[in-house]
Amino acid sequence: MVTPIYIVATGLGVGFAIGILKKFGKNFTGALVLAALAFMTFISFQWFYGLHYGSEVATYVYTAGFKPPFSINLLMGQYESIASLMINAIGLLGGIYMFNSLKARGSDAQVVYLILIMAMNVLVMTRDIFNLFVFLEIVSIAIAGVILLEKSDRSMSAGFKYILASGIISTILLLGIVFAYYLTGTLNIDDFVGISLNTYKGGGLVIFLMMMAAILELKPFPANGWGLDLYEGADPGISAIISGASATASLFVLYKIMAFAGAEWNYYVALIGIITFVGSNFFGIVQENTRRMLGYSSIGQIGLLMVVLGFKDVLGDSTPFILFGLLISHYLAKAGLFWLSGIIKAKDLKEWSVIRKHPYFLFLMGTFVFALIGFPPFPSFFSKFNFVLLLTETGNIAWVIAILAGSMLEAIYLFRWFGYAVKSENSHIEKNKVCLHKSIPIWIMALALYGFSYYTSLSNPWSIAINFIPLAFVALLFVLDFLPVYIKNSLSILGMAYYFYLVYPQLDNMRLIFEVIFIVGGILTLIAGFAYKGTRPGFHAVALLMFAGLTAIIEAKTTLEFFFGWELMTAGSYFLIIRGKRSMTHALSYMMFSIGGAYALLAAFGISNVGQINLDLNQIGHISYLSTWAYALLILGFLTKTASVGLHIWLPGAHGEAESDVSPMVSAILLKAGVFGLVLTLIAMNGSDSQWSNLAYALGWLGAITALSGNLMAVFQEDAKRLLAYSSIGQLGYIVFALAMMTHLGWLTAFTYSINHFMYKAILFLTIGAVVLRVGTHDMYKMGGLIARMPMAFIAVLIGIIALSGVPPLSGFAGKWLFYNAVMEKGWYFQGIIIFFSGGLAFLYLWRLIHTIFLGQLKDNHRNVKDISIWFAIPVYILIGGIMVFSVRPDWVLQPLGNMLSPFFPTGQLNWDHSYAYTTLGYWSGTNVFITIVILFLIVFGILALSTRKAHKLKQFDITYSGEKPFRPETTHVAWNVFAGFYKAVWPATIPLVAKFWDYVTDFFHDGAGFTRRIYSGNGQAYMMHILYFIIITYIVIIGG
Amino acid sequence: MLKNILIALVLIGFGVIFYDLFMVYEAKTELTDLAHYYAKNGANEIGGANLVTSIVVTYRGFDTLGEVTILFVAASIISFFLKLKEDEEEKVIGSKDTTELLVTASQVLVPLIFLFGVYVFMNGHLTPGGGFQGGSIIATGVALMIMANPNFKINTQIIHWIESISGVAFVFAGVLGVLLGGGFLDNTFKGLGVGEFGTLFSAGVIPIIYSFVGLKVGAEISNILNKYQKSQKSI
Amino acid sequence: MEYITLGHMSLLLGISLTVIGFWGILTQKNIIKIILSFTIADAGVNIVIVSLGYVVGKTAPIIDNAVVQEAGRNVSASVVDPIPQALVLTSIVIGFGVTALMLAFAMKMFTAKKTLDINQFNELKW
Repeated sequence: MVTPIYIVATGLGVGFAIGILKKFGKNFTGALVLAALAFMTFISFQWFYGLHYGSEVATYVYTAGFKPPFSINLLMGQYESIASLMINAIGLLGGIYMFNSLKARGSDAQVVYLILIMAMNVLVMTRDIFNLFVFLEIVSIAIAGVILLEKSDRSMSAGFKYILASGIISTILLLGIVFAYYLTGTLNIDDFVGISLNTYKGGGLVIFLMMMAAILELKPFPANGWGLDLYEGADPGISAIISGASATASLFVLYKIMAFAGAEWNYYVALIGIITFVGSNFFGIVQENTRRMLGYSSIGQIGLLMVVLGFKDVLGDSTPFILFGLLISHYLAKAGLFWLSGIIKAKDLKEWSVIRKHPYFLFLMGTFVFALIGFPPFPSFFSKFNFVLLLTETGNIAWVIAILAGSMLEAIYLFRWFGYAVKSENSHIEKNKVCLHKSIPIWIMALALYGFSYYTSLSNPWSIAINFIPLAFVALLFVLDFLPVYIKNSLSILGMAYYFYLVYPQLDNMRLIFEVIFIVGGILTLIAGFAYKGTRPGFHAVALLMFAGLTAIIEAKTTLEFFFGWELMTAGSYFLIIRGKRSMTHALSYMMFSIGGAYALLAAFGISNVGQINLDLNQIGHISYLSTWAYALLILGFLTKTASVGLHIWLPGAHGEAESDVSPMVSAILLKAGVFGLVLTLIAMNGSDSQWSNLAYALGWLGAITALSGNLMAVFQEDAKRLLAYSSIGQLGYIVFALAMMTHLGWLTAFTYSINHFMYKAILFLTIGAVVLRVGTHDMYKMGGLIARMPMAFIAVLIGIIALSGVPPLSGFAGKWLFYNAVMEKGWYFQGIIIFFSGGLAFLYLWRLIHTIFLGQLKDNHRNVKDISIWFAIPVYILIGGIMVFSVRPDWVLQPLGNMLSPFFPTGQLNWDHSYAYTTLGYWSGTNVFITIVILFLIVFGILALSTRKAHKLKQFDITYSGEKPFRPETTHVAWNVFAGFYKAVWPATIPLVAKFWDYVTDFFHDGAGFTRRIYSGNGQAYMMHILYFIIITYIVIIGG
Repeated sequence: MLKNILIALVLIGFGVIFYDLFMVYEAKTELTDLAHYYAKNGANEIGGANLVTSIVVTYRGFDTLGEVTILFVAASIISFFLKLKEDEEEKVIGSKDTTELLVTASQVLVPLIFLFGVYVFMNGHLTPGGGFQGGSIIATGVALMIMANPNFKINTQIIHWIESISGVAFVFAGVLGVLLGGGFLDNTFKGLGVGEFGTLFSAGVIPIIYSFVGLKVGAEISNILNKYQKSQKSI
Repeated sequence: MEYITLGHMSLLLGISLTVIGFWGILTQKNIIKIILSFTIADAGVNIVIVSLGYVVGKTAPIIDNAVVQEAGRNVSASVVDPIPQALVLTSIVIGFGVTALMLAFAMKMFTAKKTLDINQFNELKW
């Protein structure tokens, strides 16, 4: 075992020796520096390894041959070894990354860089407070130096401001240290831990000074303008070091000082941390400059880590897991992003679209962004989950809200940035040159992130149950992304089919229904994917990611597994949605609502654990504390996925703009995830002692209003896919309403609707999507007369709308019939009338799908279009078969459904007598209705066919125009503005109040942040004033003036 | 105006904090335990008459290594920060002629100053003084030479060699401490003997180390001065 | 505070210098003056450090004939605390290094904009 003092000796020895060796050239000295860093990394790695696996024990290193407190000693313990390894590793990788920029500045710069890394190691290891001060100064000076690698006035003034700020901080620290020595007669940190400084007269003040310095080093909000300038002004390689290594070291310093500061400081550290976390992220949302935005994010993340440190006594044994999970994710991801920002030389966020010209970098960027926000499978996900759970368990709910709010703000700007990268225009920007030595460190960081993800999930007893097989399959598909569509598609379908075969025996009936919708539905929609040519980059991996998440929700036994799946699904669907042509903003709003919803779920899971940690998913049925709030949060979270009114604004754009085979995935399938969540919640709520009837009542109204407004908006759409999207909102409104009734019939209705909606919405979206692929537009008025060219599509849409509108004979009628029975039984007449009216509205728009698209005049440019692709037709007709079966024998489905629901709602069942279903109100036989109607149809059809045999067939142009050439030809289309009159009647209901409300919220945040961030005036003196005010205000708060 | 009020408030705030600190202070009549140990055993363990030097070089030698490093880092940063472009290197600094008095005096004084500096760092273990003080004194000599002749060319090669070798020697002595003595920077090399108290060759290797420190500090400061001097060419 | 000692006086001096330094740092517009204010504040802190090592009536911690020695050159009864003096040495050197670096910055900043007004260096903000 090489003693850790060699980290210092190597760094300094090589540093000093380079003065002579520089004549061998800058390449030689550069290589020497890297070799020294590699050796330092090796030393800390072997200590880390030894300490982690128990072959070593924490070891003190003494200097000068005397024991402390007479001399300075260093400690290499487990945490020290981790921090030191992190610092050295990023130092080495950063050194490789910056090899050329360091070389350009000569051997002196290389030396400064080496000594910077060395000094940060000492900060971590030293146990002498004055020695800590000395090396803190080395770090400060060296950072001020390495900023200058970037030759610009901006970095120069950033460096100067940094020196000014750190000068003030070190003055404060030094005063604290000498007074600490004056009071106690020692400088050794271990001695401070042993004695209680607080008991000395003035001890509190001394601790205050030292704590202030340690906290200020972490750039607390708002006394951190200099830190932001540093991130913005420095070379990205240096920003990575500051964000990764320097922050780690500073955090360690705080940790050491907190060890003797006394428990009362914990609260204040957490308070300053949370203010920093929320404040920084708040200002982050208005940033347009990439590096400054990343700076805000870094400072915010460090704030979050301060919160963890502040709660270390509350979190107990989980502290290291949470702390290191967050720290490692931030460390790896932020370094990766800063390094990327050095290659993608885009200052403005919008210019990041150029990254698409390097697809693998886009993948890396995505990895880092998702890791920062805390998506699974990254360590930050597990940390955040544990953190929130433990905080709520101990009743710190206000803290949880603040943490989630801060995370949400961070997600907003990071995803906006990512959206620009994925979608915005990039043809005008030139591709950047990429050097191998710059991209390798980024890859290492990303791979380490995945490695740690796996390791973290194994090391946490709660997450060990997580099934990584679907994720591994996703990863495989990603690796195989270069293959053509038909191979990847077949592979995906086979994989999903095999997985379904594996999983289905383990599921109860209720879960099986959803699993069938998710997986079998997924397979059907994937079949349509064969219609695509080429490689279709990225599609299969993200689609399967969504399905992996969906199946994980179904299989989840614990809240952690559920949340894990939920977030995977969100990530996958986000990528699917953003693939659409104009879907950048829609994908962002989808993501924001999803994350908001997910945080609501997380908070609810946390509340369900108050007083105990119980991750069993059934625990939500036994919530004892604030149970109504917890259920409300759960429902709110799931409603974001079902797009209930108020939370729906993302859906029309997201579904409407998605690719042809993605729309059915996200509409027919994905929305059911929200339904599944609601089902779980309501079952739990039903079985609990909670007073939930008001909640259910409110939910019912929400469902009814959603149904009405969704259908109403659908009526006025000219875009076929948006029409279907709004229709989905309405349909989901029915389902929510039916569930809210909390009766047997109500739930039977809800399940019937879920199954039906899955089938007919998949049919409609697939068919319309396939038509769109042929005709190249979504706008219905640009189509017409397509029945002649696309009979297959016509039949599919016809059956789809018959089923959707709920008229006999198809299965939609079963839903309607059950619905009115349930409503009347429940006695919610007023809501029932709204629902009934909505059903009427549905005819208004469904009719248009047939009339506008397939009837009327064929457009000139569609004269030669072919029928829809066979690959779309196959799943469509399979689903039509499904609808037919359901229509002919509804009892095959409804009877088992009824049995399944009986345990939850034992009264008010449907009584079956062969094909006849009885309620207290009446009876109905799906089979007989079907047979009757089909016979009637055939008779009428036959009569018409016979009677029109001699009719003259009119060609399209056998009509007479009046000689006018219309100014806007589309206005002559019969479907153009067809509902103008109706619009006059109902327009007040169509004002997008909700959208306006969310716009207002967005503006409020944006303007607020834009205005308040002006305190960062850029003036060095103002920054020093912030620091001094920060100290004084904290002094007043803590010491009490 | 508002700004002035804010500044006044800050200063008053700090006045209050510092006043509280001041009230903590009570004049001591006894040494702290730590100081007591040094005062009691310092002379025996280290053999240096100057207790401060004993602490600086031995007990807290690691701090001293840090100090040297700070100067070194500052000098390195200044070297690459103020580095001149090639075409500027040959420029002549235009300034008023220096006075005869200064030129003559510098010729007389500089050797004396250097000698004095060397004396100060070599006797750091006996008298007030030491490596940093001696090094700074040497650098004042360099400063004087620059004042006397703004275009004076310092042999940077020599400076780098001195700086580098003395730095490496310091670290090497530290590592020797790990190998031979009781830990990094254990300068007593137990068994080597500490020499006769009060003479130049006492206190173990303190005089040697302090000489290296003195040379290094002198070289570093001279290096900084050199860069300052040259950077006038770029204005 | 029963009586005023040398320690009190120098401590007061040190603290006052520090506050004066802060005043200069916050009010001066000229970068050179700001740097000088920093050195004043540094000097103040250094004086504070030395004051804290003061022991009433004792002398410098250098063992020579002026110091009362007990057996084994034990001078613990007659010298002031040597540790703050060792610390102040380090602190001075650190102050020197920082000042030198700040001056280099000032020089370059002047070259870049031909001004030393700190208000002219606000490129990075918000």
